Amino acid sequence: MNIVVLVKSAVDEAELKADQSGHPVLKGAATKMSAFDMNGVEEAVKLKEKNGGTVIVLTLGGPEAKKAIKEAMAMGGTKAVHVLAEAADAPDSLGTAYCLAQAIKRIGAVDLVVSSEGASDTYQGEVGAMVAEFLDLPFIAYAKKVETDGVKVRCEQGLRGTVRVLEARLPAVVSVVSEANVPRYPTLLQVMVAGKKAIEDVPIASLKGPDYPDTGTVVVDVSVQSASRKRVIFDGTPEEAARKLAGALKQEGVL
Amino acid sequence: MKIFGAEQERTLGSLYGAEAAEVYSALLRSLSVVLEEEVAPLSLALDEGKEGISRPRRVLFDQGLCKLPHPAEFGGMDIPFGVYALAMELAGAADASTAMSLGIHNTVADAVSRFGSPEQKKRFLPALLSGKKLAAFALTEPTSGSDARAMHTTAAREGRHYVIEGSKMFITNAGEADLYLVFAATGDGHGAFLVEGTNPGLKVGKPLKEKLGMRASHTAEVRLAKCKVPEDSLLGKEGAGFEQAKQLLDSSRIVMGMICVGIARVAYAEALAYAKGRDLFGKKLSDMQLTREKVANAAMETNASRLLCMHAARLKESGKPYSSEAAQGKVLATESAARTCDAAIQLLGGYGYTSADVHRHWRDARLLTIGEGASEVLRLLIASQELEKEP
Repeated sequence: MNIVVLVKSAVDEAELKADQSGHPVLKGAATKMSAFDMNGVEEAVKLKEKNGGTVIVLTLGGPEAKKAIKEAMAMGGTKAVHVLAEAADAPDSLGTAYCLAQAIKRIGAVDLVVSSEGASDTYQGEVGAMVAEFLDLPFIAYAKKVETDGVKVRCEQGLRGTVRVLEARLPAVVSVVSEANVPRYPTLLQVMVAGKKAIEDVPIASLKGPDYPDTGTVVVDVSVQSASRKRVIFDGTPEEAARKLAGALKQEGVL
Repeated sequence: MKIFGAEQERTLGSLYGAEAAEVYSALLRSLSVVLEEEVAPLSLALDEGKEGISRPRRVLFDQGLCKLPHPAEFGGMDIPFGVYALAMELAGAADASTAMSLGIHNTVADAVSRFGSPEQKKRFLPALLSGKKLAAFALTEPTSGSDARAMHTTAAREGRHYVIEGSKMFITNAGEADLYLVFAATGDGHGAFLVEGTNPGLKVGKPLKEKLGMRASHTAEVRLAKCKVPEDSLLGKEGAGFEQAKQLLDSSRIVMGMICVGIARVAYAEALAYAKGRDLFGKKLSDMQLTREKVANAAMETNASRLLCMHAARLKESGKPYSSEAAQGKVLATESAARTCDAAIQLLGGYGYTSADVHRHWRDARLLTIGEGASEVLRLLIASQELEKEP
């Protein structure tokens, strides 16, 4: 079976720094495969290992996205398609989903599209569902277990203590949550081999048809959230201070 | 602490060029994720004896760390030695004992790869590179260390066998190893022998538990009594053993130096984080001039150590002599790591002295100014090569 897995190159939040004005320094910031996408790739590779076939890694982004693609390839991707969009041409979620859907149509016979629950940097969580809509395919969101017999896909969703089981005919689109699996560590040999695999570049302009949606969503500002603290100091002996602290915590409803 | 960061990426770029550095960066970045998530969190427990070394060692064997510099023909990856040395810096930063155990193991793999017969390579290399077999390097004796030529262990030929008699001391991986590379005096020189751990003539003494550092790695005496091995256990030619040991140690010194670069980086990062947060006299500890001197020294010495070790590694890769540079790199890296770790204890004050998570770095680094050639002997080696040069 042919599986497409959607991958995003996200800002490495562990390395992100803010400038004096409280804005994250995004220019030149380190990037990596979105952490949640590792679960998407793992699920796709597991399904391939069980059912045979291919896993096609699909991403949209600038040249820096090659790093994320290679990470996904090292985990077991068979081939990769990179929709190249420089920062100036980077579309919003709807435009991204449109372009990814067009790329999937070009790939041809695709049985299953796997996405993660959202990107680890922006966490919009929209693209998987939008791709399904553009492709006019069934969509199952937030799957924590995915199985397929090649005809249909069967997923489990965890809903506040209950489990809901859903099925859809193939082809379909499924988004998986991080509880779905534990992503594998690729071996160094797999990383090296992945680095040598060819990646098909597709310019974004070649995918935009007359029906390209222009929602006009723009990011106006990104700034670091300031956490306000009450800075209350309880004085007295340790016993007194502890009593006062416990009282204050009760008052706040923490205890 | 980010084990693989911009500093290592820049080093790769300057040494190997942008295109190759991209490939090697991807390898080391991937390795660093495993080191950060699966090895570094165990490091304190390993030092305290609450965790066994086989677990992190298995993780790194499975990753393929030991395959990096070896021929693809036998399951290796044909990656330049310098990249492997940088990988060992990262491993040293995650856990020094695990890195050293693997470094020594890989010296034996290096021995088989360089001096082994086609049959020996076929028989041992795939198992050594995958970690199916663990190896130990048995050169030092109770009364000979850096003066290895004075060894008392002998190997006498008996028909189609050799019989080894003697004792080896401070042997890393002893008791756990499946294969021992034993150096012994033969009739007209020395020989290196591959001895299976199951050989009834090979006995391992009690583990040396009172070690100052590198506490998770196993160290013990190895006794060889009527240890009979087939003649094809000899690595290369009879009489070549001492020269083989010298060549293997040249390589290994680069690796041990890089492990110390990793140790120094961790201690330095911990001290720096503390100094930035500790308030005293209305300032931060990091604002004090004497703190800044320590910070500057640590940064300079760590970078200089890495670059000198990598210079030796690049000379090795290009087939040029590198024995002196390897010794220089090892002396600088190990001694400066001990200084940096000592400065880290000083900056952390009482916390540095009482917390194993700080002082274990100093204890770990301290071994490597002794093992694999003591600093004093390496200085003699460096000086003798300098004095041979034309003015």
